[in-house]
Amino acid sequence: MAGFEYICNRKKDAVLVIGGGVAGITASLDLADAGQSVHLVESDSHLGGQVSKLDKLYPTDHCAFCLLWTDVKKCMEHPLITVHTLSHVKELKKESGKYSAVILKNPHYIDEKKCIFCGRCVEECPAGAIHPGWEHAWPPSFVIDESSCTKCGNCAEVCPSGAINMELREEEINLVVNDVIWSTGFKEADLRHLKEYGSGTHPDIMTSMEFEDWTAEGGINKGEIVKRSNHSVPQNIAFIQCAGARDLRMIPSCSAVCCMHALKQAGWTKRRNRTIDCYIFYTDLRTVGRDYYRYSLREFEGTEIKLIRGRPGLIHPLPGGDGIAVQFENTLTRKRELRKFDMVVLNGNIQPSLIQYRPGQDEKTAIPPMDKEGFFNTESDETSTFACGFGLEPADVAESVIQASAAAMGVMNKETDQT
Amino acid sequence: MANITVFLCRCFGEIDNAIDFDLLRKELSKDTSVSSVSIVDSLCLEADIEKAASQIKETKADRVLIAACPTLSRGNLPVDGLIKEGIERHKIDLVDIREGCAWIHGNDPEGAVKKAKDLINMGLAALQHKEASKDMRVSVHPDALIIGAGPAGLAAATSLAKTGFKVNILERASAPGGMLRLISQLYPTGEDAADKLNPYIDEVENNHLITFYPQSKISSIEGCIGNFTVQFSSQGEDNSIQSGIIIIATGAKIFFPTGLYRYGEIRNVITQMEIERQFLKGSFDAKKPVFIQCAGARDKERPYCSTICCPASLKNAMRLAGENPGSEVFILHRGIMTPGNVLEKYYRDALSMGIQFICFEEEKPPMIMGNDRVEHVEVYDAVNGITRKIETDLVVLSTPLVPNDDSVRLAQMLGIEVDRYGFFSESYPMHPLETKMDGVFICGSARWPVASDQAILQGRAAAMKAVSYLRQREIAASTLSRVPGPKSGHARVVPDSCTGCGNCVAACPFEACHLEKLEDRHISKVDMMRCKACGNCVSVCPNGSMQIPEHNYRMVGEMIKRAF
Ligand SMILES: Cc1cc2nc3c(=O)[nH]c(=O)nc-3n(C[C@H](O)[C@H](O)[C@H](O)COP(=O)(O)OP(=O)(O)OC[C@H]3O[C@@H](n4cnc5c(N)ncnc54)[C@H](O)[C@@H]3O)c2cc1C
Ligand code: SF4
Ligand code: SF4
Ligand code: SF4
Ligand code: SF4
Ligand code: SF4
Repeated sequence: MAGFEYICNRKKDAVLVIGGGVAGITASLDLADAGQSVHLVESDSHLGGQVSKLDKLYPTDHCAFCLLWTDVKKCMEHPLITVHTLSHVKELKKESGKYSAVILKNPHYIDEKKCIFCGRCVEECPAGAIHPGWEHAWPPSFVIDESSCTKCGNCAEVCPSGAINMELREEEINLVVNDVIWSTGFKEADLRHLKEYGSGTHPDIMTSMEFEDWTAEGGINKGEIVKRSNHSVPQNIAFIQCAGARDLRMIPSCSAVCCMHALKQAGWTKRRNRTIDCYIFYTDLRTVGRDYYRYSLREFEGTEIKLIRGRPGLIHPLPGGDGIAVQFENTLTRKRELRKFDMVVLNGNIQPSLIQYRPGQDEKTAIPPMDKEGFFNTESDETSTFACGFGLEPADVAESVIQASAAAMGVMNKETDQT
Repeated sequence: MANITVFLCRCFGEIDNAIDFDLLRKELSKDTSVSSVSIVDSLCLEADIEKAASQIKETKADRVLIAACPTLSRGNLPVDGLIKEGIERHKIDLVDIREGCAWIHGNDPEGAVKKAKDLINMGLAALQHKEASKDMRVSVHPDALIIGAGPAGLAAATSLAKTGFKVNILERASAPGGMLRLISQLYPTGEDAADKLNPYIDEVENNHLITFYPQSKISSIEGCIGNFTVQFSSQGEDNSIQSGIIIIATGAKIFFPTGLYRYGEIRNVITQMEIERQFLKGSFDAKKPVFIQCAGARDKERPYCSTICCPASLKNAMRLAGENPGSEVFILHRGIMTPGNVLEKYYRDALSMGIQFICFEEEKPPMIMGNDRVEHVEVYDAVNGITRKIETDLVVLSTPLVPNDDSVRLAQMLGIEVDRYGFFSESYPMHPLETKMDGVFICGSARWPVASDQAILQGRAAAMKAVSYLRQREIAASTLSRVPGPKSGHARVVPDSCTGCGNCVAACPFEACHLEKLEDRHISKVDMMRCKACGNCVSVCPNGSMQIPEHNYRMVGEMIKRAF
């Protein structure tokens, strides 16, 4: 029972988890619950990652933040987890079986432990630089956006709890850790150079994350579906699948989450406003998980979402800015059509978030070995770190957290092998 | 008479800007249960908490009411702070007078004071009647039990054993390996299934921490997290083992398409599984094979996609094409399901190998033509809008995975749920391998159809979830909470008034209540290790014998009375 004793009594160097989305949170909690201390590094001001930017989660339609919140709070309060927000890993080196890491920590000018969330600073800030993290972020604390803050100090003067200290500077933290788990997730890719999608040419052509944010129940429009151009209710919306994905010019992969995501968005659009016609332009409607296929049936049978098999060849604002022309061929009827839409939502253009960094190009960030598409390349990783979530392969929440637990198990097994 | 100390937190002016604290204090002091009312600057500062704690001790107050911001803001700080100072949790209550009062009634000072007073009054009522639940601890049996020895179960078992835990594996078949024993090569790597399995089987055979029970049949499972007792027979011999946790990795079975596409009636219409068997024997000769996808899936009867059959067809189609130069291979499909980077590339590989894909619609399935052997397949090509007649010498039906026959029985024994199709299901979307029962985990195709790599991943992940429980020597019932912090209590039966009607037993979603025989009658008993304090039992008890002490009926009744 040597191993059992070992686990109960381990004297531990920590594990470094990079990326505080659902995968990183899960990996950290699993390891910490198993007695392993963890440093969790997140570049945003709060834990939560992309899920914190989602309104609902398929296929159960739960509010995303409710599900996320409990685990974020557990993570923040776990005695074995040290969370570094507004931070990133600048250097990571393997030396004699361990890793030495340099973490660059940007200052939280507002002390999370002191801010009482009164909002007085927000009112006084001339630059509009203060925001509340994401809705229900834990801990509840306002955050100063470094890039727009002018350092005028108004906020510090009105803060009643003395939470604001503009004198803070970034600091470097040196760590020695036993293992590393990458869980850096995804980001939306810029679609502007695929001209046919019209990205960036009209305020009502949005990416799906923009649409999610724009229409979120807790967001600026309180769940109302309106156009971004003039706040009127759109008559119809086109959801374009595989925009930039399954496309050798940009993202060869299938992003795996967008079919369900579009069904969800179209379904919720219908539920909130039945008068809006929703069209999903798909290649294959990929619905492989539990209840996913049923979700697709329910969504288009029950709420009259119209499915069109085909990828539009051209999306273009109409003259005068009134509406967007979408030209497509319905590959099941073989008809070519040109139709006017009030809103267009582009779906599928998501990539591993680290793809923006290239080995050797950016000295300020440590990156793992990646393949051409930016996915963590486990085979060529001589440093044998672990990975999970969308940075490993296109994965939704359920898959990401499973990968996270498996990565944590990999760490545990490796640790025991060494003793 | 109670002796309650009330703290009114100014929250740096956020609260007393809108609520007149002096007036409020005057009103509250009239209440005979209140011994003192103090106004503090901000109870989330450590210094103020310390001051409050010493004041409580000095005045020997037996209950504390804090009127401040809610727990979702910083309200947990004063409560946790006082607990740290040695004051018991059930003697403290927190009332939100900031978000729920001061902030939203700032323009109505009179109303704000009145509402604050009502809220505090309810809190005072609650405090006078609030009780504390008992807790219990069980010692944890540090062995793990894995049911099913396919890739998922094997991965779970070997991970746990490598971490140092003893593992028992119960397998229905006579050897480990699960469905992979029936499969030749694996998508997407082309690796032999046997090669994938061998390291795991070696570990099972050689790791002294793993005991493998072949040909086993489970007859009963009792107990709960920390201590499950499982009765079973292995190779005809009865046996019983104990375990701290259970991992379900029983896989699924393949759907047999009798009557579909003339299967069973005509030669050369076979299933994907049969082609795997042929490949296990050696190569396979077919010049014009046609694969038909979704045979028995994504239809009225089985309205789900089984995930594995599209890539499995790609695999076998490519293999046939590669082994039989000059052959023409067709895949008739309703959308190819190859999500992700690896599988999408696999699909592109098949396309570039010249495999021909024809998309058909559910309403117009392909027709198998021929007398005693298939000669051609007629299919309406939905994309080109024509009916095509494909000559063929082999039709392969891609059939879905369906739940094992005994999945419902096993789920009932464990008290976990199956989904509408019969696969084991999780109770919380963010924790996909955890079930309603603490300590029972699900993985692999038993949960939902998955490829072997995914099954292995899930097996390891389930093992990880198990570690956090197995490593504890003891588990306290109160810690088995799904939200941060301890559970909010446990249901408690008043034995004298319980009539043994059994309403609570039927109502409990966690199978935490059962009837226990006394000398002359039955009464209900609550298993604290299972109770989640949901309160269902309380609401169906006809005589108030079932209570959650932290939310008992006297307390709730008194709160309602004071509010209206
Ligand atoms: C035709 C076909 C082709 C496939 N091709 C591939 C491929 O190329 N690549 C790939 O990755 N995957 C492939 N798969 C999928 C792969 O077979 C499964 O992913 C994998 O076997 C699932 O693993 P599992 O451990 O969850 O379940 P299984 O492999 O089904 O194992 C479950 C085990 O549990 C046992 N069991 C069941 N009930 C009980 C009980 N009550 N008590 C005790 N033991 C029990 C069973 O006997 C079995 O040994 C294919 C599947 C099919 C049907
Ligand atoms: S220092 Fe000035 S600009 Fe910066 S956040 Fe504070 S008020 Fe805004
Ligand atoms: S003024 Fe101070 S306490 Fe109020 S929200 Fe801003 S930082 Fe927080
Ligand atoms: S994976 Fe199976 S059920 Fe799903 S679409 Fe393909 S053949 Fe049909
Ligand atoms: S409170 Fe809920 S879980 Fe507990 S015994 Fe009653 S019904 Fe069961
Ligand atoms: S419902 Fe009430 S009376 Fe009936 S068995 Fe349960 S506790 Fe006893």
